[in-house]
Amino acid sequence: MKKIYLLVFLFFGLMAAVWAQTPAVKREVIGRDIGQLKGIKLSGRITDEITGEALVGATVRIPELDLTRITDDNGSFELDVSRAEYTLEFRYVGYETKIYPITAVGDARITIKMLQEDFTLDDVVIYGSDPEKNIRSTNMGAVTLSVNTMKELPPFMGEIDIVRSLATLPGVSQVGEASSGLNVRGGGVDQNLIQFAGAPIYNPSHMFGLFTAFNPDMVNDVTLYKAVVPARFGGRSSAILDILPKAGSVEKFGGDFMLSNFSGKLSLNGPIIKDKVSILGGFRISYINWLLQSLSNTTLNNSNADFYDGNLVISAPISENNESTYSYYTSYDDFAFASDTTISWQNNAHSLQWKSKLSEKLKMETVGFYSLYDYGIFNQSGLNNFKINSEIKDMGGRTFFNYALSPTQSFTIGAEYKQVDIQPGELIPTGTSEDVLPKKVQNEAGREMAAHFQHELEIGEKIGLSYGLRYDLYQYLGARTVRTYQEGTPVSDGSAIGETNYGENELIQTYDGLAPRASFRYSFSKASSVKLGYNKMYQFIHLISNTATIAPSDVWKLSDGFLKPQIADQFSLGYYNNFKGNIFETSVEVYYKDLQNVVEYKDGANLILQNHIETELIPAQGQSYGLELYVKKNLGTLTGWISYTYSRSLRRVITPFEEENINNGTWYASNFDKPHDLTLIGNYKVSTNTSISATFAYSTGRPVTFPEAKFDFSGNNLAYFKDRNQQRLPDFHRLDFSVNFKLKGEGKFFDGDWTFSVLNVYGRKNPFSIFFDDAPQQPPQAFRLALLGIPLPSLSYAISF
Amino acid sequence: MLKRLVYLLLFLPMACVDPYEVEVPEGEQLLTVEGIISTGPGPHAITLTRSATYGSIFEGLIRPVSLATVVVRDNEGNVTFLTEGADDLKGSYFTPANFRAQVGKSYTLQIRTAEGKVYTSTPEKVASVPAIQSLEIRTVTVPTEGSEVPKSGIQLIAGVKDPADQNNFYYWKNGPAVYILETRPDLYTPRPSPSNPNRTPQPKDCCVQCFRYEAGNNQSLFVVNDDSFNGLTTKIPASFIADDGYRFVNKFRMDLKQYSISQAAYRYLRLVKQQAEISGSIFDPPPATIRGNMLSLDNPDEVVLGYFMAGGETSQRIYVDKNDLTFKQNRAIIPDDCRVISGAFIDPPADWKP
Repeated sequence: MKKIYLLVFLFFGLMAAVWAQTPAVKREVIGRDIGQLKGIKLSGRITDEITGEALVGATVRIPELDLTRITDDNGSFELDVSRAEYTLEFRYVGYETKIYPITAVGDARITIKMLQEDFTLDDVVIYGSDPEKNIRSTNMGAVTLSVNTMKELPPFMGEIDIVRSLATLPGVSQVGEASSGLNVRGGGVDQNLIQFAGAPIYNPSHMFGLFTAFNPDMVNDVTLYKAVVPARFGGRSSAILDILPKAGSVEKFGGDFMLSNFSGKLSLNGPIIKDKVSILGGFRISYINWLLQSLSNTTLNNSNADFYDGNLVISAPISENNESTYSYYTSYDDFAFASDTTISWQNNAHSLQWKSKLSEKLKMETVGFYSLYDYGIFNQSGLNNFKINSEIKDMGGRTFFNYALSPTQSFTIGAEYKQVDIQPGELIPTGTSEDVLPKKVQNEAGREMAAHFQHELEIGEKIGLSYGLRYDLYQYLGARTVRTYQEGTPVSDGSAIGETNYGENELIQTYDGLAPRASFRYSFSKASSVKLGYNKMYQFIHLISNTATIAPSDVWKLSDGFLKPQIADQFSLGYYNNFKGNIFETSVEVYYKDLQNVVEYKDGANLILQNHIETELIPAQGQSYGLELYVKKNLGTLTGWISYTYSRSLRRVITPFEEENINNGTWYASNFDKPHDLTLIGNYKVSTNTSISATFAYSTGRPVTFPEAKFDFSGNNLAYFKDRNQQRLPDFHRLDFSVNFKLKGEGKFFDGDWTFSVLNVYGRKNPFSIFFDDAPQQPPQAFRLALLGIPLPSLSYAISF
Repeated sequence: MLKRLVYLLLFLPMACVDPYEVEVPEGEQLLTVEGIISTGPGPHAITLTRSATYGSIFEGLIRPVSLATVVVRDNEGNVTFLTEGADDLKGSYFTPANFRAQVGKSYTLQIRTAEGKVYTSTPEKVASVPAIQSLEIRTVTVPTEGSEVPKSGIQLIAGVKDPADQNNFYYWKNGPAVYILETRPDLYTPRPSPSNPNRTPQPKDCCVQCFRYEAGNNQSLFVVNDDSFNGLTTKIPASFIADDGYRFVNKFRMDLKQYSISQAAYRYLRLVKQQAEISGSIFDPPPATIRGNMLSLDNPDEVVLGYFMAGGETSQRIYVDKNDLTFKQNRAIIPDDCRVISGAFIDPPADWKP
């Protein structure tokens, strides 16, 4: 059933007309006729008819004038026309196109509500909002994946996985089958700023990376900036992952419900005040724990693996030109095996966003956020009982103004402030005996401030330029006791010669720097362009981890007098070409990235509860470079993409002290250096309600260190490791497959959606690690640990109501 | 700790661990040095071995290095020669019994191998060590997969009064032990042989109780620095003695040695401890190069493994009665005269004063 509304409001609010019509043409006169002949302004806003959300990047076209406009972040557009008859065409991917013949007689404001296309459509469209955005946008390396696009990928354990979906793109990878976070263009997982509705998130995973901690039903889209990052973002040196939540409907209540073999989730949304304030709430919980309890194995009965996440989004338009959104996100995990040590972590993030259209040309966006990541290790073994608590608290806000000087030129100017408080760890004995001493690592505090501006302009049809500058100022604050070390010796406990005490909020160390960003585009035609970009970013917080994944045993550390901020300089060049009316999208990109002050560890560094962590760390240099190829088919019964990346990610440690150099000061592969990385994704629409999809991934095995010799010390057989990361794991490859079948329910309820998927179809035992064990009564031997050693089927059922 | 996720996945069962054929670079046979000289009574031992390739298949044994010239030199130029032991003790070199290191002096170890290669350690300075104030016994059980009865043993908790004016690094070693071994000569049954096909028991009259001597077993390493208790009197787990079904049947005696070691030696031991406790999971820290304090004088690039330590020593004797344990392994039965067991004698040690 197709329903179309076109609401016309007079610009001066004198009159409003609402009418519904079928595509059968009825020309409508719009505007207040004051005899104006030229310079008539038609402005308007396009929203989703169901959810009321603004449609960003929708196309408005007047074929008579060959005039095309794209809606802005608020879904708004503006047209300059003369007094005449026109055809207005509104297009948005995944939505039904609307065509309205009009006669423009005066300034008018139009509200367009567009209806999402039925999924009975035979063709699948997997591009984002604007099919030519990759060619026409001047910004490089910004990839937006909408949840609808991700739905076309084979699900991981029954569900869409945001982080894993991004890892299928060129230049983005993950360390292994269970690892948190992403490695973007040779950077570490901590070099990405992950924001949910503007609030920073420190641990984006459940169960150490087996699941992503964001419920896809709550997510509208995800944008990853991997090359040139707009100046309004900063604070991490590799990439920005900006996750935007959905908004509830302002018109009617609805929801989604899903069950899979590992977890279940439910979300509800609807108006609190009809047509004004909407609410969206969602909750996802795993029942792995319940499965464990029902098993007969006693070891598993005593084990625990719980997680949940929840979201709440309240959107309230304050006025026609002002919108506010409150978002709350939480995720929780705990994990224990045979119930002696429990590990848990929790994210909590609040944000309040206010978007305002101050005038037709000037817009403002302000976000305030508070996020708390706390994690702990609890030992209840009966011996040496203790708990270790840690937390990171971020509080701050940012605001920016965007002024559109003309349709081809705009300025953005803004500022940001953030206070970070870290409690790196406190050990609290919980047993009755006194064999564990309480210990508390000194708290840390820092402030990050930034001011930025960006100028975007188009010079004719062919040339686009965007440049910006960000000034980052960072302060490291007390209260803290800071050691002084003897000069000319390695920083170690033994070379400490004094201590200085700093009071509460006393300035200990300041760093600042200018981070320029620039990109340039030259379009050969509407379907092809070349882009050039440069990007500099600073990072003042470091993940100090000696495992390959984000884990509660990790330490986040602010830059201080010993640990300088990480600085990344990236140069990129890309060629983009679309074929056959945007059905095929191709790109070739090359980049070179230079990193300073990356953190490396001294051999056998002791990181937990370490009050003087500078004694365990060494600054490293990093460089990464690569070539990324991408071919994507956007439309048709068969869609999908091929991405191939050749890249290297290298590290080097040269210190004044030879004994602290790693691999004799030569370049060596970082832990996530995987030169060849290929992903093939295909989605085939078999019939109107059945689709199948498959993903094949191949990459070079990651670097590992094998022992060179074994020796004996105090009755222990020990391995002697010489140089780091000189060998590699066997190559990684895996095929995933899924079938999606949509039940055509009767009526509006119960439009069920069955998804059956198999991960690792041919049961490849991709090693996560190779380790050496020298158990008694057997020869010393290498063992392979494969986290996903079998084909893993999963089944899920989802309904929308 | 975190590797337990893997266990869970193994049980679920998604993950798997299986032997894997891997090409390991052919390692050189590296000289390995282990030993400590201390202010305690001698002789002190230094052990020299050669490393073996750590391969996917059985590739060689760790072999003792014999016929080397080993000397200890102090910062005043005094040289002490070490003599190699015989038979089982080949590769171990001993100081004279009257040799004791002195607090405040620095010592270097110098080695000339039979092939004529010369090695030296960097100097190790001897720091003073506070006495062990007390020793407590605590029974420890270790839940064991696939077994109803957990493994167990005792932990010795050392009381230490840490001096406030210095940075201390403690290292504990199990010294020699003696315990009353109880056997069942009444159950003696000779092994059937062609000359004696008889399998009927032939009970012996003697002897049920012996004193069995054993060298200290130090598979678990106990090292700690005083960061968290500088200047305080504290209690620290300092030793683990496994219950093998024999030791704690009657009375057990051991000398616990407490050493003060250098910061570098502490770091070395901590790396050894860390590696010994790794079991190859995804959450293990990346492998660390364990750098010792030995150098080759002929070829500065040659890697020498191990560590030569020098430190202050204090020792405390403890008697453990069977009733001190709150959990014990089932008594192991030896159906023979206790005197046939190696290291077992009928007479108590002269200083046996439980």
